[in-house]
Amino acid sequence: MNEVLLEIKDLHAGIEGKEILKGVNLTIRRGEIHAVMGPNGAGKSTLSAVLAGKPSYTVTSGSVTFAGKDLLAMSPEERAWAGLFLSFQYPVEIPGVSFTAFMKAALAAKRKAAGLPELSPAEFLRLLKEKMAFVQMKPEFIKREVGVGFSGGEKKRAEVFQMAMLEPVLSILDETDSGLDVDALRIVAEGVMNLHTEQTSAIVITHYQRLLDYIVPDVVHVLKDGVIVRTAGRELVAQIEEKGYEGIL
Amino acid sequence: MKSVYIIGRDTLPQSISLGEGEQLSLTIVYASALEGAPAEADIPLTVSLDGRGASLDIAGLYICKGESRLRLKVDVRHNACGCTSRQLFKGLVADQAKAVFDGLVYVAHGAQKTSAAQESHAILLSAGAVAENRPQLEIYADDVECSHGATCGQLNDDELFYMRSRGIPEDEARRLQILSFLSPVLSRLPEDLAESIMK
Repeated sequence: MNEVLLEIKDLHAGIEGKEILKGVNLTIRRGEIHAVMGPNGAGKSTLSAVLAGKPSYTVTSGSVTFAGKDLLAMSPEERAWAGLFLSFQYPVEIPGVSFTAFMKAALAAKRKAAGLPELSPAEFLRLLKEKMAFVQMKPEFIKREVGVGFSGGEKKRAEVFQMAMLEPVLSILDETDSGLDVDALRIVAEGVMNLHTEQTSAIVITHYQRLLDYIVPDVVHVLKDGVIVRTAGRELVAQIEEKGYEGIL
Repeated sequence: MKSVYIIGRDTLPQSISLGEGEQLSLTIVYASALEGAPAEADIPLTVSLDGRGASLDIAGLYICKGESRLRLKVDVRHNACGCTSRQLFKGLVADQAKAVFDGLVYVAHGAQKTSAAQESHAILLSAGAVAENRPQLEIYADDVECSHGATCGQLNDDELFYMRSRGIPEDEARRLQILSFLSPVLSRLPEDLAESIMK
């Protein structure tokens, strides 16, 4: 068995005084893909926000260890440098800031934290083009402002492009399938699968089976009312699709 | 006329009249940290569109730090038919500084087919900073298109978190947010001026 990459123990967290996660336990080993499914309001997006360190959420108890380190003690940027990546359900728009400038700042900070020299402009450009081709993004996107005028599918593709640039060891995909048509879904999912290695892991948060047809999970969890109520293999996805959450619990 | 006026370096006329078909584009800059900038500035400006089909495109950018005080009073007067005015003001107010934008769009009786738009947005960077937006429309013609938008707010937390989640340190992320907010006006300035303002 591969080593443990992420270990969540009895995690309680919430926002504005309201507890949403009520004791989540989850262990993810390197190379594994875990799906977290569950009805609306179960706490799926809270889990991803808490793991990425969104300041508006408060952790009240429990622990999260990531690659041997205390994740909860780290700032959002330190988590990114350590190899955590969150693909947002609703990526933001940053008018006036080009995708190039944005990625340059992100990559430079990550390399600096790793003690690596900054890439030369030519090296950066080469990497940019390579990763864009990887997610089939049109080259003109890189000159555009972050998120501005992107369709839903383009936004999600841009998230996977950033993931390809930053080469995370743990990717959290928060409802990456929402708002995608079948073609965009396939491109995004193939991108995620092509980035997946024996050393990297992913948490796929979704309502539906369709994304999991492409990103095949090793383990499936059902989150309900802030706790994981069921954990099984990938066969659970089909059961949920057939019987609904109520039917499998 | 110049196209860029830096308060403290250039003298802005208090009153400008545009004749038939005349076009004017100008940008006003106040940054309290720029060399020569007064700590208190009261800037009154009236632009009258007096000739048919005149057009005005005016933008302003202000960055008030420390104890600085800025009052921008901009009157745009549509006195003739078929004139167009566009206004865009963006400001950052930090520390204990205060900025007031007082903007009037006046459309005279008979100034039909007027098109006027006014936008004024300020971001407060500290709890002690004050920004006031006082947009006013005075319209005496019936065939006009007028719009205005005014906001006072803070940097958006979701944007900040998004950038930090990509590994961009908080300071740098805030700088990018400010750049994003100011960019529609910054892009009207010469590059070296835009850079010295962003420092």
